[in-house]
Amino acid sequence: MPYQNRMELLQGTLDLLILQTLMWGPRHGYGVAQAIRANSGELLQVDAGSLYPALHRLEKKKWIGAEWKVSENKQDVKVYKLTAAGRKRLTQERTRWEQITDAIAGVLNPAKKENQP
Amino acid sequence: MKHWWNWRKQSDELEKEIQHHLQMAETERIERGASQNEAQTGARREFGNVGLVKELARDVWGWRWVEDLYEDLRFGMRMLGKSPGFTAVAILTLALGIGVNTAAFTAYKAFLDRSLDARDSSEMVNLALILHSGAADSYFSYPDYETYRDRLHSFSGLIADSGNEFLTLSDAGNSESRRSSADGSLAGKLGLLPSNISDKEFASTMVVSENYFSVLGVLPLRGRTFGEISELAASPTVLISENYWQKRFAGDPALLGKSIRLNGVALTVIGITPRNFVGTHLLVPDFWLPLSLSPLLHPAGGALRDRENLCCLVRGRLAPGVSIEQARAEMTVLAGQLSALHDPHSEWGKPATALIWPGSPFPLPPERLSGGLKYAVLLVMVAVGMVLVIACANVASLQLARAASRQNELRMRLSLGASRLRLVRQLLTESALLGMLAGVVALMLSWTFMKGLATVAAGAFPAQYGTLIFRVSPDPGIFAYVFTISLAAGILFGLAPALESSRSALSAALKANAGTSPMRSRRLRGTFIAAQVAVALALMIAGSMLIRSCIRALKVDTGYDIKRVVNLTVQFPEDPKYNAERESALVRELRTRLADLPDVAAVTSASPPVYGYRRAAVSLNGETPSAQNTRTVLCFSYVQASYFQTLGIPLLLGRNFQMQAGQPELSVILSESAAKKLWPDENPVGRSLRLGTDGQFHRKDEALPDGPTYQVIGVAGDTRGATFDGSDAELVYVPLADDRPQDYSILVRTWSDPERFPHEVRAVISSIDPDLTAESHTLSELVRMTATFFLPALAAVIATPVGLIGLFLALMGIYGTVSYIVVLRTREVGIRMALGAKKRDVVGLMLGEITRPVLAGLFVGMFLAAGASYLLRGALYGLNTVDGITFVSVSAMFLAIALFAAWLPSRQAARVDPVVALRYE
Repeated sequence: MPYQNRMELLQGTLDLLILQTLMWGPRHGYGVAQAIRANSGELLQVDAGSLYPALHRLEKKKWIGAEWKVSENKQDVKVYKLTAAGRKRLTQERTRWEQITDAIAGVLNPAKKENQP
Repeated sequence: MKHWWNWRKQSDELEKEIQHHLQMAETERIERGASQNEAQTGARREFGNVGLVKELARDVWGWRWVEDLYEDLRFGMRMLGKSPGFTAVAILTLALGIGVNTAAFTAYKAFLDRSLDARDSSEMVNLALILHSGAADSYFSYPDYETYRDRLHSFSGLIADSGNEFLTLSDAGNSESRRSSADGSLAGKLGLLPSNISDKEFASTMVVSENYFSVLGVLPLRGRTFGEISELAASPTVLISENYWQKRFAGDPALLGKSIRLNGVALTVIGITPRNFVGTHLLVPDFWLPLSLSPLLHPAGGALRDRENLCCLVRGRLAPGVSIEQARAEMTVLAGQLSALHDPHSEWGKPATALIWPGSPFPLPPERLSGGLKYAVLLVMVAVGMVLVIACANVASLQLARAASRQNELRMRLSLGASRLRLVRQLLTESALLGMLAGVVALMLSWTFMKGLATVAAGAFPAQYGTLIFRVSPDPGIFAYVFTISLAAGILFGLAPALESSRSALSAALKANAGTSPMRSRRLRGTFIAAQVAVALALMIAGSMLIRSCIRALKVDTGYDIKRVVNLTVQFPEDPKYNAERESALVRELRTRLADLPDVAAVTSASPPVYGYRRAAVSLNGETPSAQNTRTVLCFSYVQASYFQTLGIPLLLGRNFQMQAGQPELSVILSESAAKKLWPDENPVGRSLRLGTDGQFHRKDEALPDGPTYQVIGVAGDTRGATFDGSDAELVYVPLADDRPQDYSILVRTWSDPERFPHEVRAVISSIDPDLTAESHTLSELVRMTATFFLPALAAVIATPVGLIGLFLALMGIYGTVSYIVVLRTREVGIRMALGAKKRDVVGLMLGEITRPVLAGLFVGMFLAAGASYLLRGALYGLNTVDGITFVSVSAMFLAIALFAAWLPSRQAARVDPVVALRYE
């Protein structure tokens, strides 16, 4: 049971990270991983075993779209971009994420919360 | 297919995507100063397990099962290829089982469950009436048919046909092939066709309404079909079938427009019907004749205008958008109006309801067909179903044995992390694969068989009888049936071994020790063998009882001579010149002339005893037999004094009939059993009795013995008649007046060769009147055509090969299973031999393992067979329900063969070298 909970949390978080990354423009799979790593100050390493299933899952849910392009060295590249549904989803996910972090922060620092009002 | 293509595309894209990822990672590392090699390994290490990533990503799209199936199939193919012996035996076994079932189903469909030979045959329906008594009658009179045809709006057309007739054919030119074709046909070889004693040629002619072809929607191959009735009366026409046109006229195109004579009436051939067109029948006739011309060809009978003369089957094409229910309602109303026109005392004068069902060549809907036919169909289906059961049990026991020898592989896969479900699925896929392959083989097998059967059917009758058409064209329903059976069989026989071996693999994985089969699977294997043996034994016993019954029916002492007595039936030309007096005179003259032949011992007029007799109630106190005073119901037969001599029946007591002033005396002769029944332990001669046929079946215008008091003048030896239980041995012989001998056959006792005798008779007949025709059979030939012989013979012909296939399959199963046991127990045998066991002990050990399930199977099989023979009792002639000799001998034979089949591979175990065996693993 605890194992499953952790998976769910991670999954949801990864989806949020991917959606947010694609907010700044279309990217291929490797690019998404690199961007997450760079923006998290090399802290978050997304391994391929989680990244690709997540990308395909989001594609299946139509939150991101995929398109084949040819790169400079004449290679077929699959490029993902955010859809309108994805944008909406991102807003929801962000709100939820902020609520969760607030809630967790509240639990971790109960004194602060009482003092606030 | 689209699924498959999508899946392939998806796979390719994922591959490309991952390759791109790796390349990007590599490039970046090189840019950071790593060497080519370092970059490549680094990128791969960072990426992780490529295969796993692919699998996880594909899982997202739900393609997993396709991939697994593909893998399972590929792996299954490889496993099957690895043990070709097992694969061949399993496929062959299943193919035989499925093939027999397919053949039976195809035959059923081709013969019993067929539609009419028409365009859009689904619109065609059969019409009948359910009479006041509840009986269904599908024959209508011609005037009734006309009324329905003209007044019902639910149909776009109604057709009538009065069936097949044999008419004399003349003015048709010479036919060289005629005699030889009669002898070469299957029916001719079996002696089912009468020896035709005349130079006349006959042709089978289907008599149908004028609109027959237009309503069925069939165009002639050449020429045209019938025109209007008025036109037909002015110039009588006939159609010929393509089959007969080819056989009899060698496809001569000049036949169209020519005139031939049927029953002496000139008819112009105006068209040729398409090859194998059977219309509403099962046989292709030689000619098609319009119904309105029927009276022309039958001046004596054939009253088309008679509303009581039920002559015709009626079928119709439903008008567009009309349901069977609507048509039925409309027809019921009209039937009510028509009943007022019928004789109010007859069944047809009472209200009736219409019965309409999808068009079929059979006169009644399937659920109203005779019980015997349904029973026979059921019997065959049960028998072939049992063969499939044997085949499945056989393959299941083989699979189980093989799974036992695959324990190592399964254990390996379990410990590598395969789930139990995954293993079961793998084993099931293999089974289903076997089933499919077997289905393909079975389809080819049964197809060849059915084609052969269709060819035999087509040549079964000589040309003048028409051609039996047995359609075995490819049918999607049959394909579906075969594949469902083969798949279901595959899954069925794979299920138990799959569950069993995955379970034992799991438990065995915990124990290090292997090398003997686990107890559970041994018990399961025993059950499969016992099941096969039981079912095969039941089939064998049923088959051999039927064969014994046939032999008995032929060999049984009938009480009269069947080999030397010839049954002669005379037909007179359909001509008013032949009145009753002339016909009687001709028969009497023929009898006299036959009696004068040198090798003829006796001649008499009578019905041949093989067809059975009519029955009458008997009273002994001189009163008219009624419900109160009837002593018993006995069979009776009209015979002349010469009957007993002709058939070789001894007179045990009293005297024979005598004529008094040309009229028979009022006396009867009893058979021995009849005498015993009426007057046990007394001399019946001199006693008297009266007979009453009220309430018993008899035909119109038949002579009846009701009324007078008869004196018993003698007792004759018992004869055996046509009933299975022999009840018609109780017989009363009533003297026959010789005023209408043409109503009876002429029976001739001759010393001549039965083959040559017809030629002698032909000479006699043509010297008396060349226009007479006659058929002759010996009584033994007639016996072979009666239900007493024919039913068990037919059942035996079906049951015996089915039983043999069952036996063969069961033996293959035993052989295969013992072979596997030997392999499984090699190590154990090695230890035993090292400890001093003899070869004999080892063979005994192996046989011991198989003997118990075989014995159990034989025991259950005997019970099954007892049940089967109880069901078959109606078809068994002169046998007890449980025929001890058959039961014991067949079981003993089965046991011997089974042990032999087990002994062959057991010798292999005895040859095991202990040293080799102990090093085995």
